[in-house]
Amino acid sequence: MKKNDLKELSKKYRKEIFEKFLLIKQGHPGSIFSMMEIAVTLFHGGYVRFDEKKKKFIDKVLISKGHATSTLYPILRDFGVIKKLEWENWGKSQTKLRIFGNISIPGIDITSGSLGHCIGSGAGMALFYKKEKIDKKVFVIISEGELYEGSTWEALLFAKHHNLNNLVIFIDINELIILGNTKECLKLDPIDKKISGLGIDCHNIDGHSIESITKSLDKISNSDNLNCILAKTIKGKGSSIMENKKNWHYWNPMSDEQIKKTRNDLDQ
Amino acid sequence: MLQRDVFINEVIESLEKDKSIYFLSADFGAASLDILREKFPENFIHCGISEQAMIDIAVGLALESNKVFVYAMAPFLSLRALEQVKCGPGLMKLPICLISVGIGLGYADAGPTHYANEDYACLRSIVGNSIFTPSDNLTTEMIAKDLITNPRFSYVRLDRDNQPDLVPKITDENFKDGFKVFGEIGTDKTAIISHGKIFHNCYSIYKKKKEKTICINIFRSKPFPEKLIKLLKQIKKILVVDEQTPQGNLGSCIYENLSKNNLYPKIKIRSLDEMFFFENGGRSYLLNKSGLSDKDIISDIDGI
Repeated sequence: MKKNDLKELSKKYRKEIFEKFLLIKQGHPGSIFSMMEIAVTLFHGGYVRFDEKKKKFIDKVLISKGHATSTLYPILRDFGVIKKLEWENWGKSQTKLRIFGNISIPGIDITSGSLGHCIGSGAGMALFYKKEKIDKKVFVIISEGELYEGSTWEALLFAKHHNLNNLVIFIDINELIILGNTKECLKLDPIDKKISGLGIDCHNIDGHSIESITKSLDKISNSDNLNCILAKTIKGKGSSIMENKKNWHYWNPMSDEQIKKTRNDLDQ
Repeated sequence: MLQRDVFINEVIESLEKDKSIYFLSADFGAASLDILREKFPENFIHCGISEQAMIDIAVGLALESNKVFVYAMAPFLSLRALEQVKCGPGLMKLPICLISVGIGLGYADAGPTHYANEDYACLRSIVGNSIFTPSDNLTTEMIAKDLITNPRFSYVRLDRDNQPDLVPKITDENFKDGFKVFGEIGTDKTAIISHGKIFHNCYSIYKKKKEKTICINIFRSKPFPEKLIKLLKQIKKILVVDEQTPQGNLGSCIYENLSKNNLYPKIKIRSLDEMFFFENGGRSYLLNKSGLSDKDIISDIDGI
């Protein structure tokens, strides 16, 4: 798929998910909007390979920031993995879809929600593929807030020790956690130096630029090392009301005017 | 032979024909583990001294249809990695078996950081697991065989020390039941229920007081043995003995299951006192100091 198409798809999905938020009245729009281009590029850009016959993905995608797993629902729907009816019913009647993903939902590879788990689980999967010479990749998307969890660093040590070049870690760096800016709450910087200090190859990219994301993924496709893509993003990307606002980690009630404005923003 | 070696030897034997078994350690060893590592290096994974990551790594392996055994010292595997256990094998119902070594005051005189006096309460509260606390090597072997053949989310609590064999030994039928009764059941008798190493203290007391007691070894307390409920319907007095803190120990388990079945016999729970143990003197000394001496148990039998 062309880069422009991926950009348009990201816009389309943001709009669709926003309409779902209006129905569900809960969830995590800021975190979903910040990782949209990464998810769209991985799936529609062909980096996560799809078996058309089995209607299943070959590679794994683990959303460690489980509050944003629903980013994948419209994508999985368009691949025919999640039934259209399931998507349509979400927020209206019975459906398998949940705010946090779990493995009973088709196409969701892990049950997540609690932070700091998925680099470890992804490393377990990737190590198994390597040992068994299975041609599969594991993509793990974590939030920068997960760098506060000790288990994240334990797992990074493990993944590097085994040189898991079939594991790709995206860190969605939007600089906001629930109580404020990471720089003010508890400093994480310099993230790239800390991670590259473990011997992991780090790649700083613009997490909303399809070109930047594809370039980094193409660059590491034949890497012998464990790779970590540090994606600078904007929390609530696409909505002027939500962008860079810590309170938009969670859904907030909106006036008719705000709804109109957000719909208009997401159309741009 | 130590219980851990009995268990790991079973894993080694199964690895001869089943390569979907993975054995993970958080830098915790055993003589048998040295053999496993040498014979099956591809199936052994050293996770570093990282119990939390070890569980997450196990989740990744189990999601790929492998049978996974994770192995560490009891206090660290149980409490440090508890949330990983809930979110991984718990929520996703994965065939991960946690093998904890050194339950209770097993690591005397290492001090309170190394005692696992709360592990039973913590792990029992996680939905969907099976919990085993064997008192001898044969039971340990049977548990290992069962979990290799029918892999599931389970927590196996092994002692640090050697334990004498139970006589008469656990039969296949006992194993299916999850418990074994020593003595003749009588409505006027007190049933002493216990597991793990402290069971042997209870058994010695029972042998001296056969006219007044029976002794029940409950090596699988979760899921709770249905047959045991039937048996306890005939019992009016129960003493539960556990080398754990006063809250959430085996006594709580017995209480809850009796209450669920509308059974209300007299029950006394004999556990460790509500304290951390800093003193030296060995395990027996600490048991004596903390309310788990033979004298304490006997006074409960007489007083109940």
